[in-house]
Amino acid sequence: MTDQRPTHRATGTGPGRLLVAVYGILALAATARGVYQVSTKLDEAPVAYLLSLASGVVYVVATFALATDRRRLAWVTVGIETVGVLVVGTLSLVDVGEFPDQTVWSGFGRGYGYVPLVLPFLGLWWLWTTGRTRTDGEAPEAAQHLG
Amino acid sequence: MIVPLALLVVLLCVVLAGWAAWFVVRDRAVVLRQLWGGAVVESVLVVQAVVAAVLAATDPPAGLSGGLFWGYVVTQAVVLPFAAAWAFAERTRWSSVVLLVAALTVAFLEYRLLQIWGTV
Repeated sequence: MTDQRPTHRATGTGPGRLLVAVYGILALAATARGVYQVSTKLDEAPVAYLLSLASGVVYVVATFALATDRRRLAWVTVGIETVGVLVVGTLSLVDVGEFPDQTVWSGFGRGYGYVPLVLPFLGLWWLWTTGRTRTDGEAPEAAQHLG
Repeated sequence: MIVPLALLVVLLCVVLAGWAAWFVVRDRAVVLRQLWGGAVVESVLVVQAVVAAVLAATDPPAGLSGGLFWGYVVTQAVVLPFAAAWAFAERTRWSSVVLLVAALTVAFLEYRLLQIWGTV
C-alpha cells in the first residue's frame, strides 16, 4: 500500500526535506521525552505521559511517511497531529487536572516554540501542494555536485 | 559540564549554521567541506561526552537526571549525521536549509544539556 503516484512530486524532496527534517527532530524529541516519562514516573500523570509517548510515535510514523512518499499514511498521521495539538492544546488550558505535566501538545506546543502547532498545517499544505502540482509543468531544481 | 567546551560547541555550530545560511542565500547545495565542519563538531561532542562521563562518575552534580542527560547526549550526536546523509541525497539548496536547521538544533541541545546538568 505504498500508493505512489509518479505524476506527483515526491513528498520527501526539495522543500519537503526541511519538513521531514523538522518532523524528524520533533519525533525524536517527543518520543525520547515520552519514553523517559513513561519509564520513570508513569504513576504521576499516566494520561499525559502515555499521550506524550503516543504523540511521539505518531510523529515518527509521519516522518517515515513523508520521507518515503507514502501519501495516504502521511495524510492520516499529519491529520492526527492537527487534531491532537488542537484538542490537547485546548484541554490543557481548560482542564489542568488531566494534564498536570507537559506533553508536546500542551498549550498548543508552547514548550516547543509552537512548532507542534505550525508543523501539521505546513504538512497538510505540503501534501496538498505536492498532490496537485504535476512535476512536468515546473522546472526541476538543478542538482549540484557535492564537490 | 565544562563551560568552555560547551561554548566551543555552540560557537562551531553557529559558524556552521552561518556557512549553511550563506549557501541557502546563494542557492547552493551542501559541499563536502561543510560536512568536514560537521565532523569537527561531532568530534568535540565526543570529547564532551567523555568528559561528562568522567565527571558524572567522579563528581556528579546534585540531582542530575542521568537518563535525561544521556538521552540528550545521544540525540545531539545523531542530528548532524542525518543532515550529512541528506546532503548526499538532496543536491539542491534544500540540503543547505537542512544543515542550517541541524546546526542550530545541536546548539540548542547544548543549551539544554547545560540546563539539565545544572550549570545554567
